[in-house]
Amino acid sequence: MQITRRGLTLGAPLAVAGRAAMRRARAADASPILIGYPAALTGPSSAPGVGQNRGVTYIVDRINAAGGVKGRKIQMVTRDTQGDPTKAVNAVQEMMASDKVHAIFGPNNSGEALATTPIVARRGIPNIHCCGITSLIDEKKFPNAFRQTPNNDQSSDPPRIYCQKILKLNKVAVIGDSTGYGTSAVTDSVNNFKKNAGDVVYQAQIDATQPDMMPDMLRMREAGAQAIVPWTVSTGMIARLLNARGAMGWDVPFVGHQAMGSGEVGHLLQKPEYWNNVFNEGFKNCSLDAAGKLPARTQDFVDHARGKMSLVNTSLWWIVSAVDAIQLVADAVSKTDSSSPEAIIGYWNTLTKYPGLFADYTFSPTQHNGFPSDELVMSVASSEHDGAYALAPGYT
Amino acid sequence: MLASIIASGLAIGAVYALIGIVYNTMYSASRVMSFTAGQIGMLGGVLGSLFILRMGLTPIIGFLLTLAVCSAIGVVTEIVAVRPVLSKLDQHLYVLTTLALTMMIQQVTAIEWSTEPQPFPRLFAIGERGPFDQRFWLPLAACAAVFVGLEFLYRRTLIGHAFLAIAEDNYAARALGLPERNLRVASFALSGAIGGVAGFAAGQLLLAFFANGAMLSFYGFVPIAIGGLGNNRGAVVGGLALGVVQQACNFIFGGIFASVAVFLVFIVALLAVPQGMFGMATVRRV
Repeated sequence: MQITRRGLTLGAPLAVAGRAAMRRARAADASPILIGYPAALTGPSSAPGVGQNRGVTYIVDRINAAGGVKGRKIQMVTRDTQGDPTKAVNAVQEMMASDKVHAIFGPNNSGEALATTPIVARRGIPNIHCCGITSLIDEKKFPNAFRQTPNNDQSSDPPRIYCQKILKLNKVAVIGDSTGYGTSAVTDSVNNFKKNAGDVVYQAQIDATQPDMMPDMLRMREAGAQAIVPWTVSTGMIARLLNARGAMGWDVPFVGHQAMGSGEVGHLLQKPEYWNNVFNEGFKNCSLDAAGKLPARTQDFVDHARGKMSLVNTSLWWIVSAVDAIQLVADAVSKTDSSSPEAIIGYWNTLTKYPGLFADYTFSPTQHNGFPSDELVMSVASSEHDGAYALAPGYT
Repeated sequence: MLASIIASGLAIGAVYALIGIVYNTMYSASRVMSFTAGQIGMLGGVLGSLFILRMGLTPIIGFLLTLAVCSAIGVVTEIVAVRPVLSKLDQHLYVLTTLALTMMIQQVTAIEWSTEPQPFPRLFAIGERGPFDQRFWLPLAACAAVFVGLEFLYRRTLIGHAFLAIAEDNYAARALGLPERNLRVASFALSGAIGGVAGFAAGQLLLAFFANGAMLSFYGFVPIAIGGLGNNRGAVVGGLALGVVQQACNFIFGGIFASVAVFLVFIVALLAVPQGMFGMATVRRV
């Protein structure tokens, strides 16, 4: 085709007019931003989902009440997966194929995420992860997947450091439940101890519904464990372990998973003092200082949210991490003026110390584990107040 | 360590035995293996916790209400899941109907109660630690009481004889004028009450947890496979043996390997005595 001066003269104003029309059309785009949320909201693994859902509901209502993201309301497409990988797969398929979501937050259970991650990656939908299994994030295989919480490798560090550096105990028993998460977390934790000259004297997966944990506790004591490092979200299993410890009169410290600080554990203990000498993993931004105050940014959020949503019987980090996940999507759409997968993923890949409530996230094209390891701490399990915990002894 | 193995093994074994008796009681009256047995056991713990801890009722009232509701669930099982399929027993449709009801009970409990284990109250302030803790001796005591009570019922009372008659041959029992349907309903009410006793007595051991139902349905089936279907003595011996072996495997192997070891032991036992310890080999007329 021959390009003439007349053609160019006619074409330029047309192109300008076309671009303006497209810009107007985009500016007028009031279609909702659809965020898929496949989460275990009922079932035995639902504790994180219940807490996160409060954060999701709160932030979506808040953004929408303020007019949305450049006039676009956020609409959640929520499906209760009950912790079942099959249901999670069906849910994300439906979200992507029928609902045409712009991004997905979840699932919040590692077993489910292992099943959904490759499926979501095939369609390239931006996916925010909050599960620990390290292999879920692979920038080459899953360039759409970003993790905002610590992975199992990162999570292994604080209990190990606390045992070795602060409690000065090197012989540990590392145990977990028999779920996908429990199995992989135990493996990662054992490797972490061994890599750092730790002595893992006992390692086991335990059926979380086992009614009596005394056999396992006795085996750990006989193996010479000086500290027990549990990896499970099952409050029943944790309470049974602590009750067995109390019945044995063995004051071995428990140093491990966040769920040890859940109020549900406290309800199931035969005596309140059985919760002493138990340290759960925590996060700087969700930890109370000696004066009982949170870091300023989180304290502002809690003060604002108090009365508008329940902060009890859950962990604050579940709430604020969910708030951050939705805010990450909203900011990506706001900053790029687009809800396309490329725009959202491209924006996230540029973030350095993005100031979330839960953490300051940093992502790049080659690093999608956005949570900074130095924000992990250990907390006093029995010190929960509005979902936040006091720093464990030894931290300043 | 030995005391701990025996105490907790016998306790959990007694619960399995009671669930085995629930299976047997339902089976005797209907020839149906109802999978709701474990769910009724689960409800015994959940309802006990609900009535006593949440509603603040006295333990006696809470216990009686638990038995009443569990009996009602037993009757509902008969009406909803058993009666409609009795004419087609050979097609094993009861597997579908009782499993469906099982799922419904579990899901409703999860939604209305909690998906996390909830505490069950301490009823007796004796033996707070060690093998004499309530969670160990109460299930055993409940199992003994139920077993003795059933023996008395079946051997010394007219209604017990009627139960045995329909269990033996329901056509002949009907021909003799026995109200077969009413006796079957009463039998399911009785089995519901026994399930309630099992869950209530094991409340401190198993906690009030919706997921206990599936576990009890599964492990409660093993004693009747070992002891012989329809035989309560076999269920008690099989249940206690299962509990002790399971606990011993927990000590010896630890963790999830214990379950594998337990089932290896029982597969070997069943290969040796396929009809169960107390069951009789079926005679087939040729």
